Amino acid sequence: MASVSELYDVGWEEMRDKLRKWREDNSRNSEQIVDVGEELISDHASKLGDDVWIIYEQVMIAALDCSRDDLALTCLQELRKQFPDSHRVKRLTGMRLEALERYDEANKHYDAILEDDPTNTAARKRKISILKAQGKNGEAIRELNEYLEQFVGDQEAWHELSELYINEHDYGKAAFCLEELMMTNPHNHLYCEQYAEVKYTQGGLENLELSRKYFSQALRLNNRNMRALFGLYMSASHIAASPKVSAKVKKDNIKYAAWAANQINRAYKVKFMKSLVKLLELLSCFFFCFWQLCKTS
Amino acid sequence: MPIQLTSQAYCKMLLHTAKYPHCAVNGLLIAEKSKEKKKDGHGVPVLCVDCVPLFHGTLALAPMLEVALTLIDTWCKENNYIIAGYYQANERKKDSKPNQVAEKVAARITENFSEAAIVMVDNSRLTVSCSEPIVVIYDHHENKWRNREVTMGSFEDWSEAQKITSALLVGRSYENLIDFDNHLDDLRNDWTNPVINKSVLDLC
Repeated sequence: MASVSELYDVGWEEMRDKLRKWREDNSRNSEQIVDVGEELISDHASKLGDDVWIIYEQVMIAALDCSRDDLALTCLQELRKQFPDSHRVKRLTGMRLEALERYDEANKHYDAILEDDPTNTAARKRKISILKAQGKNGEAIRELNEYLEQFVGDQEAWHELSELYINEHDYGKAAFCLEELMMTNPHNHLYCEQYAEVKYTQGGLENLELSRKYFSQALRLNNRNMRALFGLYMSASHIAASPKVSAKVKKDNIKYAAWAANQINRAYKVKFMKSLVKLLELLSCFFFCFWQLCKTS
Repeated sequence: MPIQLTSQAYCKMLLHTAKYPHCAVNGLLIAEKSKEKKKDGHGVPVLCVDCVPLFHGTLALAPMLEVALTLIDTWCKENNYIIAGYYQANERKKDSKPNQVAEKVAARITENFSEAAIVMVDNSRLTVSCSEPIVVIYDHHENKWRNREVTMGSFEDWSEAQKITSALLVGRSYENLIDFDNHLDDLRNDWTNPVINKSVLDLC
């Protein structure tokens, strides 16, 4: 099989920079990281300087994702040699045990880290991940809530908690987590848009109106967010179709929906015009059933 | 009326699952609309000719699901297709039971197509060689979703499906698979997956 450098005609510097970009973006493209990283460390390790250690860590985690225990162990051993007493490396040892589904042993590693350093957030989060992997969502939620009482600023944790709540269909609590995130990241259009989706799913007129407002806010923060645009269209249409609203609210929401439909059409550049007209027709009979279904559960 | 899967439908389902191994994924199964309404249509299997991959990650949110269902339904009507089923692969390896999301979407599909089925992917048996079918098919009987034994008869041509799926998994074609989430990220991404469809056709 051709090497990455041959296939894509890149040098080791480009490969190293690509790995850095993937680290910064926190992308989970593990197969690509393994392909690029494995070649980089086997052929060019000496040129990487101090970067080599963080690359070993990155490649190790990607290798675990791809069931490449051979590669993961190689990276881990290099890291252990270089940083023999490191908690960070101990956590990686634990992650390897998790990948091998040896959860009890992994937990022992994390407990040892926490005994030594009770503020080690990484070890606590790994323990919660183990609960999630074992399908113990209720316990994971409990532990994560306790964690967040201590580490209130951990955004990754708030986001994870919101996802856990969504999977348990506890939309109210998911919304609360997203509210925390929006408070600390008022310019993040993705949190706004996700909050709007949760409110929409919760259902009921008040939540629909909130969802419409937050879809609009997400659009204001990023006018190319298609989910926000579609969401604005859907929420405004549902509100307009609701028998409980006044004539004025109905009229306003029809206007918002029409504006959104227009923007959607422009985004698709007329190609899907037919679909949009059909969408407007279908909406009244087709879909407020879904949130009705959600409400009844 | 049991459903039957073509190679294209089966293969795209598995490619979607393989593209996001760390996420739950879901999608819709598409059948051709039958030309005459058979009064006694029992026993004739419904052939799912294609599937449309929908989302990966968080599946339990309504708005984008509604958008997808409406747009895909419109596309179906324009192409004489009908949404005939729903597939899902759960996040965890050992979990292959249909959950609340699966049942709700399937219930919605059933309103338009009474024989709708849920197809769950058994993650624990997903291999590159595809030596055996790894789907579990659920039909709606007496208000419950019950699983039915999957045989070679559940496929239009199992050995062809097996050969094509394995080849595309080995070739990492899933990197080019587009789901509805990818489409929402960039409208130019085509969720009908013409490129993958062509690869499937070339391998037939």
